[in-house]
Amino acid sequence: MTDPKGIAVGLSIPKFENQEKVLGEARYIADLQRANVLHAAILGSPVPHARIRGYDVSKALAAPGVVAVLTGDDVPDGRMGAFIKDEHALAKGKVLYVGEPVAAVAAETEAQARAACRLIEVDYDELPAVLSPEDGLAAGAPILHEHLADYVKVFDAGSGGNVASRTRFEEGDVDRAWTECDVIVEGEYTTQAQAHVAIEPCGALAEYEAGGRITLWSANQSVFRVQANVCESLNLPMTKLRCLTPRVGGGFGNKMEAHIQPIVVALALKCRRNVRMILTREEDFEIVRARHPFRIRMKTGAKKDGTLVAREIEVLLDCGAFADDSPGVLGYSLLMSPGPYRIPHRRAHGQLVYTNKLRFGAFRGFGQPQVSFAGEQQIDEIAGRLGIDPIEMRRRNMLREGDAWFVGQQVASNGLAACIDAVEKASGWRDRPKATRHGTKRRALGMSVTAHISGLLGTGAIVRVLEDGTVVLNTGATDIGQGSDTVLTQICAEALQLPVDKVSVASPDTDGSPYNWGTTASRVTYTAGRAVVGAARAVEAKLKQHASEMLECGVGDLELRAGGRVGIVGVPGAEVSFAAISGRAHWAVGGPIVGEHTLVFDQMTHDPKRAVAIGLPFARIGVFSFGAVVVEVEIDEVTGKTRVVEAWSAADVGRAINPQLVEVQLEGAFVQGMGLALFEEMVWDGPRLANPSLMDYKVPTSRDAPYAIHSIIVEAPEPDGPFGAKGAGEIGINVIPSAIANAVAAGTGHRHHHLPLTSERVLDGLIEAEAAA
Amino acid sequence: MTGPRLVRPATLDAALAVLAEEPDARCLAGGATLVAMMNAGLAEPGVLVALDGIAELRGITVADDGRVRIGAMTRHRETAADMRLAGGHAVVRQAASVIANAVVRNMGTMGGSIAFFDPAADYPPALVAADAEIELASAAATRRLAAREFFVDWYTTAIEPGEMVTAIHLPPAGTQPSIYRKHARTSGDYAIASLALVLDGAGARVAVGACGPVPLRSDAAEAVLAGRLADHDAVAEAAALLAAAADPVDDVRGSADYRRRLIPRLLQAAISELLDTREAA
Amino acid sequence: MIDDRQDLLLQVNGARRRVSAEGSDTLLTVLRDQLGLTGAKRGCNQGVCGSCTVEVDGWPVRGCLSLAAACEGHEIVTIEGTGRDPVMAVLQRQFVVRGAVQCGFCTPGMLISARRLLQDQPRPDAEAVQAALSGNICRCTGYRKIIDAVLAAAEELAQ
Ligand code: FES
Ligand code: FES
Repeated sequence: MTDPKGIAVGLSIPKFENQEKVLGEARYIADLQRANVLHAAILGSPVPHARIRGYDVSKALAAPGVVAVLTGDDVPDGRMGAFIKDEHALAKGKVLYVGEPVAAVAAETEAQARAACRLIEVDYDELPAVLSPEDGLAAGAPILHEHLADYVKVFDAGSGGNVASRTRFEEGDVDRAWTECDVIVEGEYTTQAQAHVAIEPCGALAEYEAGGRITLWSANQSVFRVQANVCESLNLPMTKLRCLTPRVGGGFGNKMEAHIQPIVVALALKCRRNVRMILTREEDFEIVRARHPFRIRMKTGAKKDGTLVAREIEVLLDCGAFADDSPGVLGYSLLMSPGPYRIPHRRAHGQLVYTNKLRFGAFRGFGQPQVSFAGEQQIDEIAGRLGIDPIEMRRRNMLREGDAWFVGQQVASNGLAACIDAVEKASGWRDRPKATRHGTKRRALGMSVTAHISGLLGTGAIVRVLEDGTVVLNTGATDIGQGSDTVLTQICAEALQLPVDKVSVASPDTDGSPYNWGTTASRVTYTAGRAVVGAARAVEAKLKQHASEMLECGVGDLELRAGGRVGIVGVPGAEVSFAAISGRAHWAVGGPIVGEHTLVFDQMTHDPKRAVAIGLPFARIGVFSFGAVVVEVEIDEVTGKTRVVEAWSAADVGRAINPQLVEVQLEGAFVQGMGLALFEEMVWDGPRLANPSLMDYKVPTSRDAPYAIHSIIVEAPEPDGPFGAKGAGEIGINVIPSAIANAVAAGTGHRHHHLPLTSERVLDGLIEAEAAA
Repeated sequence: MTGPRLVRPATLDAALAVLAEEPDARCLAGGATLVAMMNAGLAEPGVLVALDGIAELRGITVADDGRVRIGAMTRHRETAADMRLAGGHAVVRQAASVIANAVVRNMGTMGGSIAFFDPAADYPPALVAADAEIELASAAATRRLAAREFFVDWYTTAIEPGEMVTAIHLPPAGTQPSIYRKHARTSGDYAIASLALVLDGAGARVAVGACGPVPLRSDAAEAVLAGRLADHDAVAEAAALLAAAADPVDDVRGSADYRRRLIPRLLQAAISELLDTREAA
Repeated sequence: MIDDRQDLLLQVNGARRRVSAEGSDTLLTVLRDQLGLTGAKRGCNQGVCGSCTVEVDGWPVRGCLSLAAACEGHEIVTIEGTGRDPVMAVLQRQFVVRGAVQCGFCTPGMLISARRLLQDQPRPDAEAVQAALSGNICRCTGYRKIIDAVLAAAEELAQ
């Protein structure tokens, strides 16, 4: 599907940094070595909820190698947070979950720092703990954040008590609509906490400069969010902190907001030395962040012919101790909860409740895998009751071009129908039985569809023409391994008709890069890509201005020619090279050529004439990608163990700038979603995380994932996207738990309402369904 | 935190001498478990006796009468690849082949694995079903213990201070098939439940893993199975006896209740699979 | 606690390297912190993730589960030391062009495991590759492109 005219866009160019990675030469945070560096370690709280009466750090300070001990008394009272500023650099006054950093030590070696942490004494005045959202809402529940009302919030959160935020959307007349329905399905669903398990644990390295300025390297998804969080929590002017990034060993939302960067910076300022801290895997599990457990009540109604009439959803989210990205997850999951369907009457509402657990936050899919688990199963259930094929059911109701999304935004490009067609055809859906049995194994097919939005928040790009006519691109977007450096280079190269090797990419630097909110929310290709196109167009205009003077013609007569030249349309020999132009600009006329462009997505999410929206965290959100998946599962009747045998995953990404990188997004998202569907689960034993290790928390290995994951790229170009592109990072995960649950239901006759679909649950369902039959 | 002193004896006697002299000495076999525990701060041995230089602890020998001796330092990889472990011994080979993953199987050893005895590990039920004997040595003496007696309780074996596992002995096995079946969350995880089954004459020996403090074997259940392997009611009765004797716990891998329900299902499936194999052969 | 920091002589990537290690130091720690060989990564320090995989005497092992002192007298090879091996060169090229690399944190360990597979079994099928790599966790790729890269390398080497 590549455009034959493209010289860069549409090509599966290997990512530029692959070579250094296969040689083992890529440098990640833990690989950075610095002279004169101190090693830091943290002490985690042993209790879930307590006031801190005081500290005795004398023994720790006297321990060998120790240079400084940091406690809540040493850090300023600033608070950070993406939506609600509720979090200090480390616990101050109170601790809110087991493992929360209460103190940190900087010492000459890591072992000394860890040993000294154990010598710190903290005097806790224990308080009753809130271990579930339901507990948090109960009358008389202990309050985690007594000063919640005073916290800075970036939207109308409706906070109060232990409720961090509330959101409510409504369109049509839901209450009356039920009477028009011939079939109504209704149910309560729960989903579990999932750990991100980027294989690189989080870490940070602060370099202290005389004068007190800090250069901070860290595992991150946004140097700008790191800068903002550190400066807000430590009350530092942003000029005092420069944030940079080494290679990042994977990020799925976990490295977007702060982790330990504020602590490391505070220690560096205190010691006036370089300080480094790398979390252990166990600490990474215990203190970074995780996917929200959801409790969902959902009801969907349809007419006899399958036409969807109404849907209502109510969700309760476990926020953990700090709000982090959670208000966004609540709002987004509700916004997406109707699915990519025409449903005239819909209501979605929910609450986010503080609990004494680690913070939950952004995780690929941003709440969608959870609500889709309920919503897409209900679509299948209705189809089943009405005797309609699940794919046909979705076709009848799917959102079409020009339709509005829930609460009002117009959807521009829409490749949903093509995605559905593609997975139907590739999987042979029509000609295959949906469930079969061989010996003690059952096989079954399931499907699911989804939409996702990319486009949030501020972005910029700078394109500078070097003296030899090559260009350097600077966007500030952290490449977390997904390949954005390569993709943005392809976009820049295409816009300027240059070979990709004539474009280099500057590493994100808060001192020198234009702002980029972050590598998150499937947004980089779309938003940064638009900024790159805009900056390249500005460069093109300047190049043409020079060329018109050099070739003595009008600007309008000029064209960019492949390979870095500007020429007169229709006159093959009449051209000047970028090098000649750039030389002239640098040394003679006009000055060096730099193009820049910044933007923030400008369409409103909410149309007040159409719908009610209270507590909407994203006034302007972005453009829509679509996806569909078919999975084939095999269920072992002996144990209930379910494995995916084959999968077909289609996504409308507008335009695949680099098809190979889109495919691997779909494949990686599939396997991560499969883990969520089948066995990944963070388990608490009271207030304490019971399985913070890779021994006890399992992620899929190469043997658990199917080899046959077929990624199918659908291209419905987005009018304002860079060469038509839109997001691809998350669309592939949303559909996986629901599609697998639909397949398990087809294979066993039992509908599951609780994730994960462990072998135990599937076996129980199988036995129950057999008994009922 | 500086950690243990490592000694690397070249002979078994030298190793045993260190164990006799140093009360806080521990054997370092493949390291797969011990070093992980040290990294987590769960073990702080004073002296480590590395066994990898001791030739007499390595390798598998099969005697003419069919007896097998597996040196304690034999890696899982070697055990998993040794096709001489056939018939009634195949259960041990199969157990070796599903431990963790290929890389860990290059490190881990049978002696090290059973000395740590995780009840959810793969060798214990396989060795119990195979009627293996564990050879233990100290500076003073060498003794052999039936696997059933070697595994004493959760994470506890019959190894005395100053003693180490030197070999595992398997009695001669017939040509009748045997099987090891493991049910786990993911490839390489410890078992939720596992089952080792060895056909023996007209009956079978069965051991269940991960469903109690030690590998579960029931003489009563085996008595029911004797001569009635193809009889569904007998299998069901034996399975019920096994399930009743199990003492599983809830953990992150599965509930006790689920484990109890799995036992009969695993047994029935394993028996029918083995009977099919026998028929085909 | 006995202070027994001791000098060790390790054979790493074909060269004799003198290091000074504590008894509890793992091979991974010594390679990374003393020899500057940071190709092997620490993803868990518990033997599960496989990002620390290196070769000892030709066999892939966990760097994080190998005590440095116990590695004296053994031949250690890390990703940095595989440069002259034609099998590794083909694997690396296929990983690059087939998109088997995302964040790359798992990649060095994955390559060490893959090389051993191709030495033992020059023409594996997808299932054999899945089995051989199951001790190397990748959270990014979904494995498909890694398996394809290994299969393509096997094919290229067979020609
Ligand atoms: S760091 Fe060694 S296996 Fe994870
Ligand atoms: S590429 Fe990121 S873990 Fe494999």
